[in-house]
Amino acid sequence: MSIQMVISLSFTAVAVVCLVFMGLSLSLRFTANTEKLVEDSSQRVISQVNLNLDSYLRRMMRVSNTMYYRVVKDADIAEDSLTEGMNLLYEENRDALVSVAVFDSSGNLISAVPLSTLKEAAVPEESAWFRAAMEKMENLHFSTPHIQNLFDDPDYRYRWVVSLSRHVQLTRGGATESGVLLVDMSFYGIEQVCRDVELSNGGYLYLIDGSGELIYHPRQQLIYAGLLEENNLIAATYRDGTHQESFQGKSRQVTVKTVGYTGWKLVGVVPAESLAENSQQMLLFGLSLLLFVVFLMAYLNFRISAHISDPIRSLEHAIKELEAGCEDVEIEEKGCYEVQRLGHSIRSMVSTMRHLMEDIIEQEEQKRRSELEVLQSQINPHFLYNTLDSVIWMTEAGRHEEAIQMVTSLARLFRISLSRGKSVIPLSSELEHARYYMNIQQIRYKNKFSVQINALPGTEGLYTLKLVVQPILENAIYHGLSSAEDDGLITVTARREEDDLVIEVADNGMGMRPEVADSLLDEDRPDVRTSGSGIGVRNVHRRIRLTFGERYGLSIHSEPDVGTRVEIRLPALDETQAERYQRGGGA
Amino acid sequence: MNKRRNNIIQLAILVALAAAVALPLILPRMTEARVVATPLELSVILRDTDSSLWANARMGMEQAAAEHGVEMRFLTLTTQGDCAEQEELLRREAEGDTDMLVIAPADTQRLSRQLRELVGQRTVVSVESELEGAELSVLPDNAALGHALAQTAMEDWSGGTVLLLNTAPESAGVLERLEAVRQTLAGHGVPVCEKTVKISELTGALHELVQESGAVQIMAFEPAASECAAAGKESAQLSQPLYGVGSTTDIAAWLERGTICAVAAWSEYAAGYLAVEGAALTTRGETYKMEPLPFSIVRGEEIYDPDNQKLLFPVTY
Repeated sequence: MSIQMVISLSFTAVAVVCLVFMGLSLSLRFTANTEKLVEDSSQRVISQVNLNLDSYLRRMMRVSNTMYYRVVKDADIAEDSLTEGMNLLYEENRDALVSVAVFDSSGNLISAVPLSTLKEAAVPEESAWFRAAMEKMENLHFSTPHIQNLFDDPDYRYRWVVSLSRHVQLTRGGATESGVLLVDMSFYGIEQVCRDVELSNGGYLYLIDGSGELIYHPRQQLIYAGLLEENNLIAATYRDGTHQESFQGKSRQVTVKTVGYTGWKLVGVVPAESLAENSQQMLLFGLSLLLFVVFLMAYLNFRISAHISDPIRSLEHAIKELEAGCEDVEIEEKGCYEVQRLGHSIRSMVSTMRHLMEDIIEQEEQKRRSELEVLQSQINPHFLYNTLDSVIWMTEAGRHEEAIQMVTSLARLFRISLSRGKSVIPLSSELEHARYYMNIQQIRYKNKFSVQINALPGTEGLYTLKLVVQPILENAIYHGLSSAEDDGLITVTARREEDDLVIEVADNGMGMRPEVADSLLDEDRPDVRTSGSGIGVRNVHRRIRLTFGERYGLSIHSEPDVGTRVEIRLPALDETQAERYQRGGGA
Repeated sequence: MNKRRNNIIQLAILVALAAAVALPLILPRMTEARVVATPLELSVILRDTDSSLWANARMGMEQAAAEHGVEMRFLTLTTQGDCAEQEELLRREAEGDTDMLVIAPADTQRLSRQLRELVGQRTVVSVESELEGAELSVLPDNAALGHALAQTAMEDWSGGTVLLLNTAPESAGVLERLEAVRQTLAGHGVPVCEKTVKISELTGALHELVQESGAVQIMAFEPAASECAAAGKESAQLSQPLYGVGSTTDIAAWLERGTICAVAAWSEYAAGYLAVEGAALTTRGETYKMEPLPFSIVRGEEIYDPDNQKLLFPVTY
């Protein structure tokens, strides 16, 4: 999977998880808040209705009090008529009243307005309101709704009323007796207080008495007709506050408030499914919002990850091109800081690699050239031609012993030169090679110079790079002693200096100026192979340094008319180390 | 390749993004569309001339109409039980923009035959009588009601003929009650005398009918007949107990005054409510199952029992 996809998917996944978590938290919070809001709203509405109902009932109680204290209490029913005072009060409150009546303790009608004749079948003393008033004299009693069935109505109107009854003291002929004052409140008044009250989310409100009997319900007649049921009997057992109930398989939030004095209860019902419906809508909205944010995040993440990963991809592409061998690869340094640094590092690395490669190629080239030089020095045709010409000349001159010696030396010289293809050979072999070479040259130059080859103690068993001495000797003969008199001397001394092997080749020839001697090893000097060019010496120097490092090589000390001393410095190699160099592994 | 794949992914994400934007805009409208239902037109066509007989039923109908989004027209006949007029009314309403009809059939058999021709495929709910071809019928079990009424009459019977007033010979529902009463009384050896009489003539003719039949008890089988018989009984000062059907305010008053001895009553309010609710829901394609309406026998002295108060006197303000 690409880095862009990894970043994009990871960011999106994390964002989705966070959003879902936040969404769930908010949803739960919202649901709880909604329920709380609905609860608060129901309680506020019910409190307001309770206030209105309380006010209405107090008004009815005031009517009852006024009726009692102003009309009934001070009148002697044996002499005075109560009708006028009662009528007056009735007319003042006729919007809320159906009838007002006073009965004696036996249920006989003393006075009533607006209808004043009892039905034949009426038995007031058996009515619940009458019994309640007589049993609990100190209280006012509110009945449940019922049809007013006491008075003869010529229009045969049957009206639903709530009866407010109380015990009263009647005065008859100066004597007091018990009686009952009945105020029939129009059901309209209660309906006016409770109707059109809507609770949140399609909730409704109903009113029950203490035993759960319905007083008002917005669908009261449906309940009376048996088409609907209400949980009123259970609701009567609830304390004031909010409750959760399950009725007919449906969950509802029920808020209850007891109406002062009467013991009636206002019950607010909010169906839970309407809350759930709201929650579902919110859930749907939240889900849509979540989807929107997720896809927006996905898109932005995709773009951001592309912004991050494009420079990395570009680097990857460049590296692939490098792997494929392309040379002109542009490595761009763009993107974030880290990626820029990475690009920069790769660019530096590639540059370093290129330089190293060039160095390696250069070194390989030099090595190859040096080896070629060795080969060339091994089979120097002039040397071979001159030697063989000398052998011919000596043979023709009858100098057979010298000819044999020369040929023998030549044969051994070549044998050591070959050395079974080894580049590192024992110091003794190298010195022997020098000796054979000098034997040949001494015969050729008719002993114009003498040679001393010494290996000092400590050098036994040491190894050296092959054919490092012979080119120096050749140089010494051609440039130092060829034009000298018979007292020329060339000394070859091998000695050990700590971890180094030093082979010193010295002659007492014509020498040279120090600056000329210094220039012999100068790499910038053109490789023109002419006599006196010193190319053999420089090749030896280069070979030693290529093989053993910069610390080793030649150093030339010369003074005009004094002579030249060439010091060959090599590592003091034993057989094991020599073997390692032979395999090309170095020290 | 990678670039093309990335472009496709981006395009897919953008399409999903657009869908996520559109979703919250579209879904609330869809739910709103579900909630707001088109109001339905309903015509109620009775077989009576006096709509006060249906006052309680009308209250129930209006309640159901308010709850189910129904606009209601209430139509009565100019002549009691005039089938031709009722058919004409049905045709006229069907040609109008009414969606459904509630009918109290004047002539059940005749209307059954012509119902679909008159109203087409509109929803029809019958009240009082079972009407063939109607989607629903809202009525009590008329046979059981007649049987119960006969049982009540027999409780008071001490010999003599019982006069059965047939005031709606074309109404299947009324006839079913009458037949059940006849069978029950006959089954118990109670002699009966059936008299067919028009509602409009019943009040004046009752005395003569009673004398002709020598009846000791009188029975009527529809609210209008019960009221007219009660009026006739009172005006002729007849002493024969009268048994009727219905729960109108006037019948309650006759019951209270003792003019009517007992009635078989059912909640007219419930009947009206169920008729309109059934019609509305059936028109909207919902399945609606109708059970026979429960009824009870109410004697005069029992009208103020709490349950009977709720049955006879709908809560009005």
